[in-house]
Amino acid sequence: MKPKVAFFDFAGCEGDQLQVANLEEELLALLGQVEVVSFREVMKEHSDNYDIAFVEGSCTRLQDEDRLKTIRKNAKIVVAIGSCATIGGINSLRNYKDLDNVKKTVYGENAKFFDSYAARAIDAVIPVDAYVHGCPIDKEDFLQVVKSLLLGKKPETTTYPVCVECKKNENVCAFERGQFCVGTVTRAGCNSCCVNEGTICWGCRGLVDNPNENSHKEVLIKYGLTVDDAISKFRLYFGWQEAKR
Amino acid sequence: MKIISKVDFQNFIDALIKDDSLNVIGVKSRGSKFAFAPLESAEELRLDYDVTLLPPKKYFFPQRETLFTYDLSDGFSAKNPEEPTPMVLVGVHPYDIVALLHMDEIFRETKSDPYYFKKRDAAIIIGVNIQKMSKWNFSSFMGCAAIDYGYDLMLTDLGNRYAINVGSQKGEDLLSKYAKNVTVALARDIQIAGQKKREVMVMSQQKFDFPPELIPELLKDSYGKSGFWEKHSEKCLACGSCVLVCPTCYCFDVKENLDLSLEQGERIRTWDGCLLEDFAKIASGENFRATRPTRYRHRYFKKGKYLFDTFGFISCVGCGRCSSNCLPDIANPVNLFNDMYHESIENGEQMATIAAQPEVNIQTEGYIDYVPKLATIIKKVPMTSMETLFEIKLDDGSELSHKPGQFVEVSVFGIGEAPISLSSSPTKKETFEVCVRKLGNVTTKLHRLNVGDKVGIRGPFGNGFDVDSLKGKDLLFIAGGLGIAPLRSLINYVLDNRKDYGRVYLLYGCKEPKELLFSDELVSIASKENVVFKPTVDRCPESGVWEGNIGVITTLIPQVSFDPEKTLAILCGPPVMYKFVIADLKKRNVPDDHIIMSLERRMKCGVGKCGHCQINQIYVCKDGPVFNYSKIKGVPEAL
Repeated sequence: MKPKVAFFDFAGCEGDQLQVANLEEELLALLGQVEVVSFREVMKEHSDNYDIAFVEGSCTRLQDEDRLKTIRKNAKIVVAIGSCATIGGINSLRNYKDLDNVKKTVYGENAKFFDSYAARAIDAVIPVDAYVHGCPIDKEDFLQVVKSLLLGKKPETTTYPVCVECKKNENVCAFERGQFCVGTVTRAGCNSCCVNEGTICWGCRGLVDNPNENSHKEVLIKYGLTVDDAISKFRLYFGWQEAKR
Repeated sequence: MKIISKVDFQNFIDALIKDDSLNVIGVKSRGSKFAFAPLESAEELRLDYDVTLLPPKKYFFPQRETLFTYDLSDGFSAKNPEEPTPMVLVGVHPYDIVALLHMDEIFRETKSDPYYFKKRDAAIIIGVNIQKMSKWNFSSFMGCAAIDYGYDLMLTDLGNRYAINVGSQKGEDLLSKYAKNVTVALARDIQIAGQKKREVMVMSQQKFDFPPELIPELLKDSYGKSGFWEKHSEKCLACGSCVLVCPTCYCFDVKENLDLSLEQGERIRTWDGCLLEDFAKIASGENFRATRPTRYRHRYFKKGKYLFDTFGFISCVGCGRCSSNCLPDIANPVNLFNDMYHESIENGEQMATIAAQPEVNIQTEGYIDYVPKLATIIKKVPMTSMETLFEIKLDDGSELSHKPGQFVEVSVFGIGEAPISLSSSPTKKETFEVCVRKLGNVTTKLHRLNVGDKVGIRGPFGNGFDVDSLKGKDLLFIAGGLGIAPLRSLINYVLDNRKDYGRVYLLYGCKEPKELLFSDELVSIASKENVVFKPTVDRCPESGVWEGNIGVITTLIPQVSFDPEKTLAILCGPPVMYKFVIADLKKRNVPDDHIIMSLERRMKCGVGKCGHCQINQIYVCKDGPVFNYSKIKGVPEAL
């Protein structure tokens, strides 16, 4: 019997589910292996009978926690997909700002009707079995994780930084091009896709397990970034992880 | 020496490109840098480059390479990758040519790597003498800035023409087939080319303060240098850039990749690097070089000492790529070795003045086979909640013919490959047994397989126990946990050849009674003549039943009386066990060379190539896993 899978979204842009919807011919091959029972972005039907739950988005409210706990109870395997879910992502930027101001900016006069707290990765609320990192997730990476789960294999998460992939892809280092990059401390697995296109690594896959942050900050400053700029480079994606460390 | 005008040279390259049977690669610009890439026209060629981002080794040992593809729809059938297209590499600098010669020796040692040599043998190297040197380059000091060997053709720019040194028949043939208007060099051109070469030989701006051939001597006493490695590696990002761009680095990881049908797949190898965090980590979680300083140090020792001791060359050609790619600027070998040199002088240490000459004894025979043999699980005996004994038979009917102490690489198709010790005696011929602990992906999946299911087997690998040298001796086996598995192979061998060996003592310890392996079998062994068996557990929970010794394995050693002169101690257990057991054996006056042990490391390829199981210059998979204590007691990292 094919495993039943469901997709859920929390605070986020749903861009990761869009990546799945855009798998094209591989989507058909995927549907040969799994049965999708819930996927709001592409279908109307919904069922709470699922084996694997893919969760996108950060947890930003107390009531999100209850929903996450229900998902955890229903699913045999919970997979966090996308930066917001895996590492707190861009949502965590606001954790460094005054929450009332943030709410006012977003909801204006109606701010008082909305609950909110510091944005967090979903493993801050429930245990997570596997991660598909990225903003948005990489299709190939998503399929690798799915295949691993189908084979009963623990999905491999790289422990080395993006530099490894940049070197293999023979990219000219962003620093050499006069830009600032956080690939040196960011978990690889994206095949250095952004740097391959001539930009920089923004850090969307999160910090490696044991980053040498001091050395990296020194590098950023050596190449001409101010301390404040270096910190904001870090916070774009690493905010939640940094606070946790 | 020959001469060709630049116009005719362009025509020569274009003629090569036009020939579809050749893959023509040359140096092209890439952003503000340079890279080797397929040439579409001779105009793209930039022979005035300083250094390429990656060395040309990527054409012989690619970043990602398919070892074989397979199909699981009907059992298992493997296919080797297609034969490589002959390649012409245009514009290789001398230091990169020397690096390829290093790679040749490394990939040829013991057994040749077929993937590397198929491509290497089908390639023609057109070198070019350095015109602009990168500011990081120190190849002049490494004797690799200009060379007279290793190429098929070597170009020297003489303004409107190139001087060509022909280095091989292949080079000569290539010229005569594709190039026009090649003339013999006149004395004047020979002189100018010679002058250019001499200039290059002193061009490096990075300067050693001492003769770099003394690096191995300098390293000899630097392993434990207090604070030195910690200080120099403090800023290390563990990003691996230094080793990934290195022209002589060859470590790789092996991975499995299955398509969505879950039936078609491939086994691939990808570049790995000893600076990366998990490089020396094994499935149980133990990481033998867990900290940045230890990995940082390993790189310098590997280049400057370990490979030197094995092959007789310092495995660095001075290209400077590591230095230029290190953002915190701590990877420059010139700076590190100069610091080391000055520190030694300041500390008043005696500095050798003559370079060491290691005894190089490289043997090579045949090719490595990365494709496993198909085998069938014919028996599966659960032993504990974590360990299962599998009896396996090779499908082609051949015998494994292993020695006790050897291991096999077991493939679970679609998941991967893991090294597992052989647990049965070679006296059992038609089948073999492995006792497998459920730890990583491969072993967990293996536990889910059933009798009749297929696995892949490569090996046997490693040296194994030298059963002849044990003859006539009393044998003291000391096993901790799963360490009993490889020892069982030897114990049963000894019992099957009983008259050749003296008394057998077996000390076996586990954490708890429920973790004991082969209990029934060991009890029946214990009843044999001249066998003493003593088990112990670290603790016994209230729910457990245990009448034997309680305490760690060393508490058993005082309980047996043996003659240290007549007895060989044979150890296998978790890494933490050895230190304590050896200390207690030494208290009983057991001589160093009477202690034999089997070590565990991350043995990925099994054939001494991938680098993961390396302890100093020792490859555990090839030189071990069985070692005599007298040989490794001084080797750092071993115990």
